[in-house]
Amino acid sequence: MSRTFGARKALDDVTFDLELGAFLSIFGPNGAGKSTLLKVLSTLTTPSKGTARVLGLDVVQDAVELRERIGFISHNPLLYPDLTAEENLEFFAEVYCIDSPKDRIRELLDAVELDHRRLDLVRTFSRGMLQRLSIARALLHDPALIFLDEPYSGLDPHAMDILDGLIAKIRDGHTFVMVSHDLSKGLELCTHALILSKGRIVLHQDKEFIDEDEFAQTYRTTVGMGVS
Amino acid sequence: MRQLKIAIALVLVGGLLTTAAFLMAFFTAEVQLFSTVTFDAPIETAFSLAPPEFQPTDGGVAYGRPWFSQKIFYFHVPVALASFLILLISAVYSVRFLMSKRAEFDTKARIAMETSLIFVVLTMITGVLWTRASWQVWWEWEPRLTTYFIMMLMMIAYFVLRNSVEEEERRATYAAVFGILAAINAPISFMITRVIPSNHPVVLQPGMAPSNLTPFILGQIGMLMIGYGIFVARMSEERLRERIEITKEALEG
Amino acid sequence: MADAAPVTTSRMSGWRQFKAILRKDIVMELRTKEMLTSMGLYALLVLVVYYITLSQAGQDFEVRRIAAGLLWLAFIFTSLLGLNRSLVHEKDQGCLDALLISPIDRPIIFFGKAVGNLIFLLIVEAFIVPLFFFIFLASADAQVMGPVWMIALALLLGSIGIAGVGTLLATMSVNTKGKDFILAVLFIPLMFPLLLAVVAGTSVVIQAEIGYVTTFWQMMALAAGYDTIMLLAAFALYEFVLGA
Repeated sequence: MSRTFGARKALDDVTFDLELGAFLSIFGPNGAGKSTLLKVLSTLTTPSKGTARVLGLDVVQDAVELRERIGFISHNPLLYPDLTAEENLEFFAEVYCIDSPKDRIRELLDAVELDHRRLDLVRTFSRGMLQRLSIARALLHDPALIFLDEPYSGLDPHAMDILDGLIAKIRDGHTFVMVSHDLSKGLELCTHALILSKGRIVLHQDKEFIDEDEFAQTYRTTVGMGVS
Repeated sequence: MRQLKIAIALVLVGGLLTTAAFLMAFFTAEVQLFSTVTFDAPIETAFSLAPPEFQPTDGGVAYGRPWFSQKIFYFHVPVALASFLILLISAVYSVRFLMSKRAEFDTKARIAMETSLIFVVLTMITGVLWTRASWQVWWEWEPRLTTYFIMMLMMIAYFVLRNSVEEEERRATYAAVFGILAAINAPISFMITRVIPSNHPVVLQPGMAPSNLTPFILGQIGMLMIGYGIFVARMSEERLRERIEITKEALEG
Repeated sequence: MADAAPVTTSRMSGWRQFKAILRKDIVMELRTKEMLTSMGLYALLVLVVYYITLSQAGQDFEVRRIAAGLLWLAFIFTSLLGLNRSLVHEKDQGCLDALLISPIDRPIIFFGKAVGNLIFLLIVEAFIVPLFFFIFLASADAQVMGPVWMIALALLLGSIGIAGVGTLLATMSVNTKGKDFILAVLFIPLMFPLLLAVVAGTSVVIQAEIGYVTTFWQMMALAAGYDTIMLLAAFALYEFVLGA
């Protein structure tokens, strides 16, 4: 799986590849192009120059096929507050044209431990519950690749633990790409790490070769650069 | 810099042509009646030559209401046509932007829209002069004037929209989409206001006298040259600005 | 969850996705009644303003002459309110992004949202039109009026254009700084030809003067033409708006 692209300003000649089953953490200061990178990879926007292939599918030409196989968990819950938990999942199940959606929704609600609240409006959910339901939504169609955009932001420690547990549960057989500010969390989970600054890759390493202190040092300098 | 020279030359030549057309309209053209076309009066009478007392005397200038409203025609109509043409050009650039997502087309579309807005405002002003001279009112909700009013509002909306979007690419895309819709909407407005009975003089009928056609065509060419000149000048200014931005960024980074 | 049964998906069905979007909007609306109450209430307020406007017009003034314009004026401003709401729902929690990374064709999102907006608009119209006639046109001379279905047709053609173009513009305006204001500024000039045609069409039916049927159909043809052209354009451009 290889991706090459360079978008105007936001991303400048970014090239990297990632094998299936890996967990990539992307770090970088605000405005480094992390979100743009994620947007390109998840087909929300197109690269201005170059190409990106995700799961062997081109993000422009094979966008529809690719969308069937990716899931997205963001710091935004991406749920309708005026629908119940179950209705939200039902809606997205219909959008993904999932067969026998009822069973699948039950199964997922069980997994994220929200079965007892399935008939409640999402509006009434706490931040942690929202995030759990959001994970259930992202996993509905059993995607091969899951994008995580700052999934920990705004979570209390307890909700973080639950999220950790969920990610550990689905870790096998899925590829992850995560954007995060949280250095320790990101490093703990990942198999590969990448630092972006001003749309360029500053560092891209396998976890085995990463020295945590050195990595933190590089990260701090890039963040410092980004601020100036 | 060469572009700026071309732009200045274009504006100058265009200005000369329109002035020539304007003078010709005063001294050589015969005064035609562009009276209101009503459904009971045949078109021929509406476009016949005006009675002798309204015609310019030898080398002199006669004054009368139909006479003045006649003269402004050589300014009003070329400006109106030019504004519409430039709007279409802006829409073409908008389409090309959406196809290619290249920022230069967005800039071109924006500047064409600016130029068009200048011409629309001129059309409105001359139109108001016309209504004052021929119909003795300052403003008449006459369908075609109204359509130009709508066009002006759409163009202002275009710039309001641009100003309210932060992110550059999104701003360009939204502006392009709206620019295209505006260009589609303008001829529809023309068409619909034509169907609804109107009292705007219908000009450019085959009955137009050749002595009037010459200044009209000259004026039209002149206006288009001025329009293109403004466009080129603004484009070169915009390019300079971009270069300054890039240099600034390079210096800071 | 690794041991869970494999999830099977059927072939992507646009119709199924369209129904899902429509049903979701209707369920949400039935639950919150946000759009319908705000639009309905707003329309009622407009009627009050009309009463104030007409209160000094005197006995001889024939409201029928301007009734069509008043009616459409109420709808155009009411629809602005609803359109804005309908897209704010999608934008609020980033739900639109969730839709965009799902395997759904962009035009289906457009039609789903536009049809939903059309339905809500028609519901509000069905409630306001009889009220309007009862309040302003129920005098004795109002008996001479064209058939109701003609007015309904004019309302339908007008609403289709409003919902179609409005959905596109609202999708843009929710991403701008001054949401409601921007929508109005973009929307009303674009609606100009359609409004002209439907107001003329509605007006001739209300006044029912001799030969009005011909004018009516002429106006309806214009409105239908506008709808076709503008919906095609909106349909083609929607993908770009969503992608930005």
